[in-house]
Amino acid sequence: MFGDLERTPRTLLVCERSSFLDEKNRLSSQVEQLHFNYKVSMLLPECSSAPSHLEAVFNSINSFYLIRKLPIHELLDKHFLETAVHQGRVSGLSYGTRIDEDNCVALMPNGHLSLSLDKDSFEVLGVEGKPSRFNQRTNSRFVVSVDLTDSSMAPGGRGYQRLVTGLKSRLQLKTDFLLSHPPGCGASLHAFLSRYDWSEHKPEIRSHTLTDLSSPLLTSDLQSCDPRRLLEWLGAVDAHVSCENSSSSFLSSLVCPEPRTRLSQALSVSVCGLLRPQDVQQLIQQIRCYLEQPRLENWVSLTVHGFVDSPVSWGGEEHGVLRGGDNFYSLLMFHDHTYQLHLATGAHDTCPP
Amino acid sequence: MDETIVRANIPQDLVKVLGVEPQTKSKAEAFTRSFLKNSIRPNSRTDPKSMLSHKAVLLEYARPKKDKSKRKSKRAKGLNARQKRAMKIFQIKPEHQRYKLFLPLHDLWRQYVIDLCNGLKPTCTPQFVQQKLLKADFHGAIITVVRSKCPSYVGATGILVQEFKHIFKIITKEDKLKVIPKRNSVFEVEINGFVSHIYGSRFEQRASERSAKKFKVRGTIDL
Repeated sequence: MFGDLERTPRTLLVCERSSFLDEKNRLSSQVEQLHFNYKVSMLLPECSSAPSHLEAVFNSINSFYLIRKLPIHELLDKHFLETAVHQGRVSGLSYGTRIDEDNCVALMPNGHLSLSLDKDSFEVLGVEGKPSRFNQRTNSRFVVSVDLTDSSMAPGGRGYQRLVTGLKSRLQLKTDFLLSHPPGCGASLHAFLSRYDWSEHKPEIRSHTLTDLSSPLLTSDLQSCDPRRLLEWLGAVDAHVSCENSSSSFLSSLVCPEPRTRLSQALSVSVCGLLRPQDVQQLIQQIRCYLEQPRLENWVSLTVHGFVDSPVSWGGEEHGVLRGGDNFYSLLMFHDHTYQLHLATGAHDTCPP
Repeated sequence: MDETIVRANIPQDLVKVLGVEPQTKSKAEAFTRSFLKNSIRPNSRTDPKSMLSHKAVLLEYARPKKDKSKRKSKRAKGLNARQKRAMKIFQIKPEHQRYKLFLPLHDLWRQYVIDLCNGLKPTCTPQFVQQKLLKADFHGAIITVVRSKCPSYVGATGILVQEFKHIFKIITKEDKLKVIPKRNSVFEVEINGFVSHIYGSRFEQRASERSAKKFKVRGTIDL
């Protein structure tokens, strides 16, 4: 009986409370560490339309490229390495590959390439790798992690040669690839991209005004509501699930946590795409500016979701999917520059920073 | 000669000196016998009379042994493993470790396999070729490691120079002698367009014993 209890999948929730004015706050480093962000959703209470500077930030978020059927050995192309990887901060992720079934690839801004392969692909590829940390009993997934900026992976070196021949001739790995670049780097990538079927996408922005919403009373002092219930309520609002819990409807029994107030209106904005941590930082800055003026409600919540099928999570740590591959964080900001940060991961993940 | 001196009569001039009288033959015999009887310790087994009589003495009492060399020897015992290792008959000297030297061996092997499969026409079924290859000898084949649990073996290609029970010894194009364990690896052998994959884990027999072994049909093989 206890064996089953031990194997119950666990979820992790790290809650932090600090202030932007405190020098020791680690928010910026925590935000930087989640390289691949899928969705940012914000909830602005008592607000009918997005403020103009927020709109400006939304429009300034860089577009990302989607390349269909990119052979992964192209990421090791000398030219690409020189222009994109070594200069810095191009990041990319394989798209449409499921982390528990297919082979997934992630290229991180610091030049690390991480391949999450199933057993057959790893045995055919022939490059040193480690079994995944989340294997149950038998090794069914392997992770090959390569530092492209390291001297051993310089073009022409033995390690580089082995990886390139492995990806070219032994295991021809081809996936759809999402590529994101820092502003200004786009033009140099066009030459690289022109060989394949690629398209440019802007992040999708959706906003929704909610009326007559019951919300928990959120204050920046210590007696705020339970993080789990707060996150549940935030998720319900984002998914447009009504929290009324009326007796006539059996669809959901989610309730708004006590103590609660009534909001006449609220604005829910979500941005979907491949977002970089820098974009998230900019959004946080703008919301802080927005909160400086006195408002009816003095809080704004911002939730950032990572990719479910990404091979890496915070800080390049391995990520997997058991029942749900959530890795997200939720930031609750107040007008007095304090914030509450909740970082959550699923079963096949390490502890967030 | 000495006997005659013993039995000769005493010369006349010595008779007076020694003070003895020569006896007649019969008297001398009788005297000798009685003297022996008195002086020899009495032993019931040995009779002085029989001892004195001439007897042929057998120098050997054992039965003559059969001639061993006539029997057929069962089997040449051969050397045991320790002696073989000491003699280093399985080691290839560095000056012999050259890829070019083994290319004629590879050609011989190709000829051998083509003859084994009766021509190896493109119309042959792969199953037929496989059945033949199961019992064939692979010395001289060019084998490649296609898949392996250990990633560093993948991609090793060369001519097989020695096949032992658990390993293959191949020589690569760079004149390096590589030792590759059979277990947990899949090898690829190509002959005239027929590509065969050998699952090393199931192939762990000596080359000589494999020709007599029956291979069971198993389901999928996972490394």
